[in-house]
Amino acid sequence: MQTQDLVTLVPWTFIIQIINLFIQVYFIKKFLFKPINEILEKRKNLADKEITEAREARSEADSLKEQYEDSLTNAHAEAAKIVSDAQKEAENKAETLVREAEQQAAAIKAKATADIEQEKKKAINEAKDEIGGLAMEIAGKVVEKEINESDHRKLIDDFINKVGA
Amino acid sequence: MSQSFEVDYARIYATIKTGIPILGDLQITETLIVSWIVMIIITGLCIFLTRDLKIENISKRQAFAEMLVETGNNFVRNNTGSNKFDKLIPFVSALFATSVVSNLISLVGLRSPTADLSTEAAWAIVVFIMITATKIKTNGFGGYLKGFTTPIAVMTPFNILSELATPVSMACRHFGNILSGVVIDGLIYWALGLASAALFKLIPGVVGQFLSKIPILGIGLPAVTGVYFDWFSGCMQAFIFCMLTVMYIANAAEES
Repeated sequence: MQTQDLVTLVPWTFIIQIINLFIQVYFIKKFLFKPINEILEKRKNLADKEITEAREARSEADSLKEQYEDSLTNAHAEAAKIVSDAQKEAENKAETLVREAEQQAAAIKAKATADIEQEKKKAINEAKDEIGGLAMEIAGKVVEKEINESDHRKLIDDFINKVGA
Repeated sequence: MSQSFEVDYARIYATIKTGIPILGDLQITETLIVSWIVMIIITGLCIFLTRDLKIENISKRQAFAEMLVETGNNFVRNNTGSNKFDKLIPFVSALFATSVVSNLISLVGLRSPTADLSTEAAWAIVVFIMITATKIKTNGFGGYLKGFTTPIAVMTPFNILSELATPVSMACRHFGNILSGVVIDGLIYWALGLASAALFKLIPGVVGQFLSKIPILGIGLPAVTGVYFDWFSGCMQAFIFCMLTVMYIANAAEES
Protein backbone atom coordinates (compact mmCIF):
# COMPACT_ATOMS: atom_id res chain seq x y z
CA MET A 1 0.00 0.00 0.00
CA GLN A 2 1.12 3.50 -0.83
CA THR A 3 2.10 5.78 2.00
CA GLN A 4 2.63 9.50 2.16
CA ASP A 5 5.80 11.19 3.38
CA LEU A 6 6.30 11.65 7.08
CA VAL A 7 6.49 15.45 6.98
CA THR A 8 4.52 16.82 4.11
CA LEU A 9 1.76 19.26 3.31
CA VAL A 10 -0.92 17.69 1.15
CA PRO A 11 -3.14 20.44 -0.30
CA TRP A 12 -6.33 18.38 -0.40
CA THR A 13 -5.87 17.03 3.10
CA PHE A 14 -5.20 20.58 4.23
CA ILE A 15 -8.43 21.87 2.67
CA ILE A 16 -10.51 18.96 3.87
CA GLN A 17 -9.17 19.36 7.40
CA ILE A 18 -10.22 23.04 7.40
CA ILE A 19 -13.70 21.99 6.31
CA ASN A 20 -13.69 19.19 8.89
CA LEU A 21 -12.82 21.68 11.62
CA PHE A 22 -15.75 23.92 10.72
CA ILE A 23 -18.12 20.98 10.49
CA GLN A 24 -16.93 19.94 13.94
CA VAL A 25 -17.47 23.47 15.24
CA TYR A 26 -21.01 23.41 13.86
CA PHE A 27 -21.75 20.01 15.37
CA ILE A 28 -20.34 20.91 18.76
CA LYS A 29 -22.32 24.12 18.73
CA LYS A 30 -25.51 22.38 17.71
CA PHE A 31 -25.31 19.25 19.82
CA LEU A 32 -23.46 20.41 22.94
CA PHE A 33 -23.43 24.15 23.46
CA LYS A 34 -26.91 25.03 22.27
CA PRO A 35 -28.87 22.51 24.36
CA ILE A 36 -26.66 22.88 27.43
CA ASN A 37 -26.67 26.65 27.32
CA GLU A 38 -30.43 26.61 26.93
CA ILE A 39 -30.76 24.37 29.97
CA LEU A 40 -28.37 26.54 31.97
CA GLU A 41 -30.31 29.63 30.98
CA LYS A 42 -33.59 27.99 31.96
CA ARG A 43 -32.18 26.92 35.27
CA LYS A 44 -30.86 30.40 35.92
CA ASN A 45 -34.27 31.89 35.18
CA LEU A 46 -35.90 29.36 37.44
CA ALA A 47 -33.48 30.12 40.26
CA ASP A 48 -33.98 33.86 39.78
CA LYS A 49 -37.73 33.37 39.87
CA GLU A 50 -37.53 31.30 43.00
CA ILE A 51 -35.32 33.83 44.72
CA THR A 52 -37.71 36.63 43.83
CA GLU A 53 -40.63 34.58 45.06
CA ALA A 54 -38.85 33.73 48.28
CA ARG A 55 -38.09 37.40 48.83
CA GLU A 56 -41.68 38.33 48.24
CA ALA A 57 -42.88 35.61 50.58
CA ARG A 58 -40.47 36.81 53.24
CA SER A 59 -41.56 40.42 53.02
CA GLU A 60 -45.15 39.28 53.15
CA ALA A 61 -44.42 37.17 56.20
CA ASP A 62 -42.64 40.12 57.80
CA SER A 63 -45.60 42.39 57.26
CA LEU A 64 -47.95 39.74 58.55
CA LYS A 65 -45.79 39.29 61.62
CA GLU A 66 -45.84 43.01 62.25
CA GLN A 67 -49.58 43.02 61.86
CA TYR A 68 -49.94 40.14 64.28
CA GLU A 69 -47.67 41.77 66.77
CA ASP A 70 -49.67 44.97 66.50
CA SER A 71 -52.96 43.21 66.96
CA LEU A 72 -51.50 41.22 69.82
CA THR A 73 -50.39 44.38 71.57
CA ASN A 74 -53.81 45.88 70.90
CA ALA A 75 -55.47 42.79 72.26
CA HIS A 76 -53.39 42.98 75.42
CA ALA A 77 -54.28 46.61 75.88
CA GLU A 78 -57.89 45.90 75.20
CA ALA A 79 -57.96 43.02 77.63
CA ALA A 80 -56.39 45.19 80.30
CA LYS A 81 -58.93 47.89 79.58
CA ILE A 82 -61.80 45.46 79.75
CA VAL A 83 -60.58 44.10 83.05
CA SER A 84 -60.10 47.54 84.54
CA ASP A 85 -63.50 48.65 83.20
CA ALA A 86 -65.12 45.63 84.70
CA GLN A 87 -63.37 46.28 88.00
CA LYS A 88 -64.44 49.88 88.02
CA GLU A 89 -67.98 48.97 87.14
CA ALA A 90 -68.06 46.32 89.79
CA GLU A 91 -66.75 48.76 92.34
CA ASN A 92 -69.29 51.34 91.32
CA LYS A 93 -72.06 48.82 91.49
CA ALA A 94 -70.94 47.61 94.85
CA GLU A 95 -70.76 51.13 96.14
CA THR A 96 -74.17 51.93 94.77
CA LEU A 97 -75.57 48.80 96.30
CA VAL A 98 -74.06 49.58 99.65
CA ARG A 99 -75.29 53.13 99.53
CA GLU A 100 -78.75 52.08 98.51
CA ALA A 101 -78.78 49.52 101.24
CA GLU A 102 -77.68 52.12 103.73
CA GLN A 103 -80.31 54.53 102.52
CA GLN A 104 -82.92 51.85 102.62
CA ALA A 105 -81.88 50.89 106.08
CA ALA A 106 -81.96 54.49 107.16
CA ALA A 107 -85.39 54.94 105.63
CA ILE A 108 -86.67 51.80 107.31
CA LYS A 109 -85.19 52.93 110.55
CA ALA A 110 -86.74 56.39 110.25
CA LYS A 111 -90.08 54.92 109.31
CA ALA A 112 -89.89 52.50 112.19
CA THR A 113 -89.02 55.32 114.55
CA ALA A 114 -91.91 57.40 113.22
CA ASP A 115 -94.27 54.46 113.50
CA ILE A 116 -93.17 53.81 117.03
CA GLU A 117 -93.64 57.45 117.89
CA GLN A 118 -97.06 57.49 116.36
CA GLU A 119 -98.06 54.29 118.07
CA LYS A 120 -96.80 55.69 121.28
CA LYS A 121 -98.81 58.88 120.86
CA LYS A 122 -101.82 56.86 119.84
CA ALA A 123 -101.44 54.62 122.82
CA ILE A 124 -100.97 57.56 125.12
CA ASN A 125 -104.07 59.27 123.70
CA GLU A 126 -106.03 56.08 124.00
CA ALA A 127 -104.82 55.65 127.51
CA LYS A 128 -105.73 59.28 128.22
CA ASP A 129 -109.22 58.72 126.88
CA GLU A 130 -109.61 55.49 128.79
CA ILE A 131 -108.28 56.93 131.97
CA GLY A 132 -110.50 60.00 131.54
CA GLY A 133 -113.57 57.84 130.97
CA LEU A 134 -112.71 55.60 133.85
CA ALA A 135 -112.08 58.46 136.18
CA MET A 136 -115.34 60.09 135.23
CA GLU A 137 -117.20 56.89 135.75
CA ILE A 138 -115.51 56.28 139.05
CA ALA A 139 -116.04 59.80 140.12
CA GLY A 140 -119.70 59.68 139.10
CA LYS A 141 -120.24 56.51 141.00
CA VAL A 142 -118.33 57.65 144.06
CA VAL A 143 -119.65 61.12 144.40
CA GLU A 144 -123.12 60.38 143.07
CA LYS A 145 -123.48 64.01 142.71
CA GLU A 146 -124.89 65.79 139.85
CA ILE A 147 -122.14 67.58 138.11
CA ASN A 148 -122.15 69.45 134.99
CA GLU A 149 -120.72 67.26 132.38
CA SER A 150 -118.45 69.89 130.88
CA ASP A 151 -117.14 71.05 134.22
CA HIS A 152 -116.46 67.54 135.07
CA ARG A 153 -114.53 66.91 131.88
CA LYS A 154 -112.44 70.00 132.46
CA LEU A 155 -111.61 68.84 135.92
CA ILE A 156 -110.56 65.40 134.67
CA ASP A 157 -108.44 66.79 131.88
CA ASP A 158 -106.64 68.99 134.34
CA PHE A 159 -106.03 66.00 136.47
CA ILE A 160 -104.76 63.86 133.64
CA ASN A 161 -102.49 66.63 132.46
CA LYS A 162 -101.05 66.95 135.86
CA VAL A 163 -100.54 63.23 136.03
CA GLY A 164 -99.54 62.41 132.39
CA ALA A 165 -97.17 65.17 131.57
CA MET B 1 10.97 -8.93 13.45
CA SER B 2 12.71 -6.67 10.98
CA GLN B 3 16.15 -5.43 11.86
CA SER B 4 15.59 -1.97 10.40
CA PHE B 5 13.21 0.54 11.98
CA GLU B 6 10.33 1.94 9.94
CA VAL B 7 8.13 4.82 11.11
CA ASP B 8 4.36 4.37 10.88
CA TYR B 9 3.59 6.38 7.73
CA ALA B 10 0.10 7.55 6.84
CA ARG B 11 -1.33 5.13 4.32
CA ILE B 12 -3.07 6.30 1.16
CA TYR B 13 -6.19 4.25 0.62
CA ALA B 14 -7.36 5.77 -2.62
CA THR B 15 -6.28 8.42 -5.07
CA ILE B 16 -8.89 10.34 -7.03
CA LYS B 17 -7.50 12.05 -10.10
CA THR B 18 -8.72 15.62 -10.21
CA GLY B 19 -6.37 17.11 -12.73
CA ILE B 20 -6.42 20.45 -10.89
CA PRO B 21 -2.99 22.05 -10.97
CA ILE B 22 -1.19 22.86 -7.69
CA LEU B 23 -3.78 20.98 -5.60
CA GLY B 24 -3.01 17.73 -7.35
CA ASP B 25 -4.85 14.50 -6.87
CA LEU B 26 -7.25 13.97 -4.00
CA GLN B 27 -5.78 11.32 -1.76
CA ILE B 28 -7.96 9.55 0.76
CA THR B 29 -5.33 9.02 3.41
CA GLU B 30 -5.38 7.46 6.84
CA THR B 31 -5.34 11.01 8.21
CA LEU B 32 -8.69 11.82 6.64
CA ILE B 33 -10.32 8.53 7.54
CA VAL B 34 -9.26 8.77 11.18
CA SER B 35 -10.28 12.45 11.23
CA TRP B 36 -13.77 11.45 10.24
CA ILE B 37 -13.79 8.75 12.90
CA VAL B 38 -12.72 11.39 15.42
CA MET B 39 -15.52 13.68 14.28
CA ILE B 40 -18.05 10.89 14.59
CA ILE B 41 -16.78 10.09 18.10
CA ILE B 42 -16.99 13.70 19.26
CA THR B 43 -20.37 14.38 17.68
CA GLY B 44 -21.75 11.09 18.96
CA LEU B 45 -20.48 11.91 22.42
CA CYS B 46 -22.13 15.34 22.27
CA ILE B 47 -25.44 13.82 21.23
CA PHE B 48 -25.16 11.12 23.88
CA LEU B 49 -24.31 13.60 26.64
CA THR B 50 -27.16 15.97 25.85
CA ARG B 51 -29.92 13.37 25.68
CA ASP B 52 -33.04 14.13 27.73
CA LEU B 53 -31.76 17.21 29.47
CA LYS B 54 -33.54 18.29 32.62
CA ILE B 55 -33.59 21.49 34.62
CA GLU B 56 -33.72 19.79 37.98
CA ASN B 57 -32.54 16.47 39.32
CA ILE B 58 -29.99 16.03 36.55
CA SER B 59 -28.21 12.82 35.63
CA LYS B 60 -24.46 12.34 35.96
CA ARG B 61 -24.24 12.43 32.19
CA GLN B 62 -25.88 15.84 32.04
CA ALA B 63 -23.72 17.08 34.88
CA PHE B 64 -20.66 16.03 32.89
CA ALA B 65 -21.96 17.77 29.75
CA GLU B 66 -22.63 20.92 31.75
CA MET B 67 -19.18 20.71 33.27
CA LEU B 68 -17.65 20.52 29.79
CA VAL B 69 -19.60 23.56 28.63
CA GLU B 70 -18.73 25.50 31.77
CA THR B 71 -15.08 24.57 31.40
CA GLY B 72 -15.11 25.81 27.80
CA ASN B 73 -16.86 29.03 28.81
CA ASN B 74 -14.49 29.64 31.70
CA PHE B 75 -11.41 28.81 29.64
CA VAL B 76 -12.20 31.42 27.00
CA ARG B 77 -13.59 34.00 29.44
CA ASN B 78 -10.72 33.73 31.91
CA ASN B 79 -8.03 33.89 29.26
CA THR B 80 -9.55 36.85 27.44
CA GLY B 81 -10.76 38.49 30.62
CA SER B 82 -14.17 39.36 29.24
CA ASN B 83 -17.32 38.06 27.59
CA LYS B 84 -16.41 39.72 24.28
CA PHE B 85 -15.17 36.48 22.76
CA ASP B 86 -18.07 34.20 23.65
CA LYS B 87 -18.48 33.46 19.93
CA LEU B 88 -15.10 31.79 20.04
CA ILE B 89 -16.12 29.26 22.67
CA PRO B 90 -17.52 26.60 20.29
CA PHE B 91 -14.56 27.05 17.97
CA VAL B 92 -11.98 26.68 20.73
CA SER B 93 -13.91 23.76 22.21
CA ALA B 94 -14.12 22.02 18.85
CA LEU B 95 -10.41 22.62 18.31
CA PHE B 96 -9.57 21.22 21.73
CA ALA B 97 -11.87 18.23 21.45
CA THR B 98 -10.64 17.35 17.96
CA SER B 99 -7.04 17.76 19.01
CA VAL B 100 -7.33 15.67 22.18
CA VAL B 101 -9.33 12.89 20.58
CA SER B 102 -7.02 12.87 17.55
CA ASN B 103 -3.96 12.67 19.77
CA LEU B 104 -5.37 9.95 22.01
CA ILE B 105 -6.84 7.84 19.24
CA SER B 106 -3.35 6.44 18.71
CA LEU B 107 -3.99 4.52 21.95
CA VAL B 108 -6.44 2.23 20.17
CA GLY B 109 -3.96 1.58 17.39
CA LEU B 110 -5.15 4.11 14.80
CA ARG B 111 -2.74 6.65 13.37
CA SER B 112 -3.36 10.11 14.85
CA PRO B 113 -4.55 12.62 12.26
CA THR B 114 -2.43 15.09 14.20
CA ALA B 115 0.66 13.13 13.18
CA ASP B 116 0.11 14.67 9.74
CA LEU B 117 1.34 18.24 9.30
CA SER B 118 -1.57 19.03 6.96
CA THR B 119 -4.00 18.79 9.86
CA GLU B 120 -2.17 21.19 12.14
CA ALA B 121 -1.41 23.50 9.23
CA ALA B 122 -5.12 23.66 8.45
CA TRP B 123 -5.97 24.56 12.04
CA ALA B 124 -3.13 27.06 12.32
CA ILE B 125 -4.17 28.80 9.11
CA VAL B 126 -7.75 29.12 10.37
CA VAL B 127 -6.46 30.59 13.62
CA PHE B 128 -4.09 32.89 11.73
CA ILE B 129 -6.94 34.19 9.58
CA MET B 130 -9.01 34.78 12.71
CA ILE B 131 -6.15 36.68 14.36
CA THR B 132 -5.64 38.82 11.26
CA ALA B 133 -9.37 39.44 10.89
CA THR B 134 -9.58 40.51 14.53
CA LYS B 135 -6.63 42.86 14.08
CA ILE B 136 -8.17 44.44 10.99
CA LYS B 137 -11.52 44.75 12.72
CA THR B 138 -9.92 46.43 15.74
CA ASN B 139 -7.57 48.84 14.03
CA GLY B 140 -8.90 49.10 10.49
CA PHE B 141 -6.96 47.90 7.48
CA GLY B 142 -4.63 50.94 7.53
CA GLY B 143 -3.97 50.49 11.21
CA TYR B 144 -3.25 46.81 10.65
CA LEU B 145 -0.66 47.62 7.96
CA LYS B 146 0.80 50.41 10.05
CA GLY B 147 1.22 47.94 12.88
CA PHE B 148 4.02 46.28 10.92
CA THR B 149 6.15 49.43 10.92
CA THR B 150 6.28 49.74 14.68
CA PRO B 151 8.34 50.70 16.49
CA ILE B 152 10.39 51.85 13.44
CA ALA B 153 9.97 51.28 9.73
CA VAL B 154 13.16 49.24 9.54
CA MET B 155 11.47 46.56 11.63
CA THR B 156 8.85 45.86 8.94
CA PRO B 157 10.45 42.69 7.49
CA PHE B 158 10.98 41.27 10.95
CA ASN B 159 7.42 42.07 11.94
CA ILE B 160 6.09 40.34 8.86
CA LEU B 161 8.32 37.40 9.59
CA SER B 162 7.16 37.18 13.19
CA GLU B 163 3.56 37.46 12.04
CA LEU B 164 4.02 34.57 9.66
CA ALA B 165 5.93 32.63 12.29
CA THR B 166 2.82 32.46 14.45
CA PRO B 167 0.89 29.85 12.42
CA VAL B 168 4.07 28.03 11.44
CA SER B 169 5.20 27.68 15.03
CA MET B 170 1.75 26.69 16.23
CA ALA B 171 1.40 24.00 13.59
CA CYS B 172 4.93 22.68 13.92
CA ARG B 173 4.89 22.62 17.72
CA HIS B 174 1.78 20.46 17.81
CA PHE B 175 2.83 18.28 14.90
CA GLY B 176 6.34 17.78 16.24
CA ASN B 177 5.16 16.66 19.63
CA ILE B 178 2.68 14.17 18.30
CA LEU B 179 5.03 12.87 15.62
CA SER B 180 7.76 12.44 18.19
CA GLY B 181 5.32 10.41 20.25
CA VAL B 182 4.56 8.23 17.24
CA VAL B 183 8.26 7.78 16.45
CA ILE B 184 9.24 7.05 20.05
CA ASP B 185 6.36 4.63 20.55
CA GLY B 186 7.40 2.89 17.32
CA LEU B 187 11.02 2.81 18.45
CA ILE B 188 10.14 1.39 21.86
CA TYR B 189 8.01 -1.36 20.34
CA TRP B 190 10.71 -2.14 17.78
CA ALA B 191 13.48 -2.22 20.37
CA LEU B 192 11.45 -4.33 22.79
CA GLY B 193 10.57 -6.70 19.95
CA LEU B 194 14.24 -7.09 19.07
CA ALA B 195 15.15 -7.56 22.71
CA SER B 196 12.52 -10.20 23.34
CA ALA B 197 13.46 -12.01 20.11
CA ALA B 198 17.10 -12.07 21.21
CA LEU B 199 16.18 -13.13 24.75
CA PHE B 200 13.85 -16.00 23.88
CA LYS B 201 16.15 -17.32 21.16
CA LEU B 202 18.34 -18.44 24.05
CA ILE B 203 15.72 -21.07 24.84
CA PRO B 204 16.68 -24.09 22.77
CA GLY B 205 14.40 -25.97 20.47
CA VAL B 206 10.95 -25.23 19.03
CA VAL B 207 9.74 -23.40 22.14
CA GLY B 208 12.46 -20.75 21.81
CA GLN B 209 11.79 -20.40 18.08
CA PHE B 210 8.09 -19.88 18.73
CA LEU B 211 8.48 -17.49 21.70
CA SER B 212 11.11 -15.39 19.93
CA LYS B 213 8.53 -14.46 17.28
CA ILE B 214 6.23 -12.88 19.93
CA PRO B 215 7.38 -9.49 21.32
CA ILE B 216 6.61 -10.49 24.91
CA LEU B 217 8.68 -7.63 26.37
CA GLY B 218 6.39 -5.25 24.49
CA ILE B 219 3.76 -5.81 27.18
CA GLY B 220 3.88 -3.29 30.01
CA LEU B 221 6.67 -0.82 29.36
CA PRO B 222 4.99 0.95 26.39
CA ALA B 223 1.98 1.59 28.61
CA VAL B 224 4.23 3.42 31.07
CA THR B 225 6.03 5.50 28.44
CA GLY B 226 2.65 6.05 26.76
CA VAL B 227 1.47 7.96 29.83
CA TYR B 228 3.87 10.71 28.88
CA PHE B 229 4.17 10.44 25.11
CA ASP B 230 0.50 9.83 24.39
CA TRP B 231 -1.60 10.98 27.34
CA PHE B 232 0.37 13.91 28.70
CA SER B 233 1.80 15.17 25.45
CA GLY B 234 -1.52 14.72 23.66
CA CYS B 235 -3.54 16.67 26.22
CA MET B 236 -0.81 19.25 26.71
CA GLN B 237 -0.45 20.06 23.02
CA ALA B 238 -4.21 20.39 22.59
CA PHE B 239 -4.31 22.71 25.59
CA ILE B 240 -1.35 24.78 24.35
CA PHE B 241 -2.83 25.10 20.87
CA CYS B 242 -6.16 26.33 22.25
CA MET B 243 -4.50 28.57 24.80
CA LEU B 244 -2.40 30.22 22.09
CA THR B 245 -5.44 30.62 19.86
CA VAL B 246 -7.37 32.42 22.58
CA MET B 247 -4.40 34.52 23.67
CA TYR B 248 -3.47 35.62 20.15
CA ILE B 249 -7.03 36.58 19.31
CA ALA B 250 -7.51 38.41 22.60
CA ASN B 251 -4.24 40.28 22.04
CA ALA B 252 -5.25 41.12 18.49
CA ALA B 253 -8.43 42.74 19.80
CA GLU B 254 -6.50 44.84 22.33
CA GLU B 255 -3.95 46.48 20.05
CA SER B 256 -4.37 50.19 19.71
